[in-house]
Amino acid sequence: MRLIVARCEVRYSGRLTAVLPEALRLLMIKSDGSVMVHADTGGFKPQNWMTPPTVIEEEGEPPVRIVVRKRAGASEDRLDIVIAEVVSDVVHDMGEAAALEKDGVERDLQEELAAAPHWCGEGFRLVRREWPTDIGPVDLMCRDADDAWVAVEIKRVATIDAVEQLTRYLERIRLDPAMGACRGVLAAQAIKPQARVLAESRGIACVEVELAVLRGEREPDLTLFAA
Amino acid sequence: MRGVPANSGHPRACAQIHKPYDSESFFEVSIVKLSASCQELLTQLQTVSRVASTRSAVQALSGVQLEAGDSGVELRATDMEIGLRVPLEAEVQRPGTVVLPGRLMLDVARQLPGGDVSIELRPSEGDVEVVSGPARFHIRTLRSEDFPPLPAPGGDTVVTMPAEAFVQTVARVSRSASRDETRPILTGVLVSASGDELRMVATDSYRLSVKETKLDAPLETGFEANVPARALDELSRVAAQVGAETIEIGVRTNQVVFRVGGVVLSSRLIDGQFPNYRQLLPETYEHELHVPGEELAGVVRRISLMAQKNAPLRLSFTEGELTVSAQTPDVGEASEPLPVPFAGEPFEIGFNPEFLRDGLESVASGDVILKLISPLRPGLIEAGDGSGFLYLIMPIRLNV
Repeated sequence: MRLIVARCEVRYSGRLTAVLPEALRLLMIKSDGSVMVHADTGGFKPQNWMTPPTVIEEEGEPPVRIVVRKRAGASEDRLDIVIAEVVSDVVHDMGEAAALEKDGVERDLQEELAAAPHWCGEGFRLVRREWPTDIGPVDLMCRDADDAWVAVEIKRVATIDAVEQLTRYLERIRLDPAMGACRGVLAAQAIKPQARVLAESRGIACVEVELAVLRGEREPDLTLFAA
Repeated sequence: MRGVPANSGHPRACAQIHKPYDSESFFEVSIVKLSASCQELLTQLQTVSRVASTRSAVQALSGVQLEAGDSGVELRATDMEIGLRVPLEAEVQRPGTVVLPGRLMLDVARQLPGGDVSIELRPSEGDVEVVSGPARFHIRTLRSEDFPPLPAPGGDTVVTMPAEAFVQTVARVSRSASRDETRPILTGVLVSASGDELRMVATDSYRLSVKETKLDAPLETGFEANVPARALDELSRVAAQVGAETIEIGVRTNQVVFRVGGVVLSSRLIDGQFPNYRQLLPETYEHELHVPGEELAGVVRRISLMAQKNAPLRLSFTEGELTVSAQTPDVGEASEPLPVPFAGEPFEIGFNPEFLRDGLESVASGDVILKLISPLRPGLIEAGDGSGFLYLIMPIRLNV
């Protein structure tokens, strides 16, 4: 990663033309060929940029001109940076980039609920994760305390679409005579009121779960009854 | 009403069809013309516009329907959950119906110079002319066809009871109803009336309020209904404003209609099984303490100031003393002792400060009886005067 703080003028030509008049700017040149021109304002978004693959040509030492070119169909996108003064020019070896790790996504919920299915209903035991149906897998297939089948669909935020999805799964699952009485549970961190109404009208139970509680990071709130 | 509506010689307008956007035929539109006092208009608009919808896709629901008829003038508003019909003392020159933008009409009424105001529908312009003194407004009307009809008083079961008893009972319990729309059943108050008893129950699963009120005279019939707490709070406001002695309650399959004075408030009922609250009340308690209610409520109010960011209020019981304390990191801490007749092993219990305050404030006056079992079991606050008020509250886990 090369970071150049320089007083420069930036001209873009391609689908249109644009000029950034001479001012102090940060030029960010990444090893993958991305080039971004940042000001000290404007949030995270660069004032101008070029995505890879690019060709980067440089004149002078310290640089007085950097030209970034990229083919765009029959024409060419071009970023012409004329540098009047270099304040700083450093290169960092960033090593291997670790991928962004998102926490609290549907998969995390599924893993936690698979490990502790009783949060979906009293006495639930996991039979299988990703139970296959001919229209796609349902997240968890469990048996309840009476040994009856329960299909659990897990969402971060449950909307009407989630209810429709679970309804479709249940229709397919119930085609198997051995699972004709399979019931459904919609488990989510948040359940939209309309989804709850629709689910209840279809006999689908709704369970709100908290990831922190499932992970044992926080004790559940004490309540007078399970609402 | 100020006077008998006058038919000023114009052909009688069609009473039901109001088409401000279709002014081709004079005879097909309602022609509203009336005059009232500015203050009266403002007062009644303030009352009715509270229930007008603020977020509906149907624009007419943000409006106030004004119906001028032979029997007087009525202002109406609804958000499809609650409907309100409020009489307006006015002189009707021409009967008819029009829907006015609620918020704007209220703002206009607030700024009128005083004295009398006249309101006249101008069908060809699709607006109403509001004139008060030298001030003249032309306000576009909303689609009258989109405004739903509101139910009339009455129902399958009709009960009349003292307004004060009803309103006082609502005031004691409605705070415990849930605001969480994802649990609709808990957003209501279970209202039961039979014989000489009125009972209301509300719970949000963290606390439960029960108030049983003895009525002076037995009711002829009874009912049980889960009424949205919002509707009851609105009814309480209206009742206080109207100053009526009785409330008429008409219960239908999925609707309840209250009549208090000349005001009619209707609400949908909440469907579903209300929690069996009786089985939530513990049969026995480890500790039972009689504590001066106002004193304890004062301590709780003071110390709660230091229980911010979901910090609990800590109640530490030792021989003869209760210490209420709270601590919020980076904010501060506070504590205050209070003599109480506590005996036995010291113990500490935490509560949500707001919930505890609500419970103590709902015990109108006098002593409260504090019943406790253990730090993780519910505690009960009971009115010491035998007024039939119970407030069950779940504690919060304390980390050390």
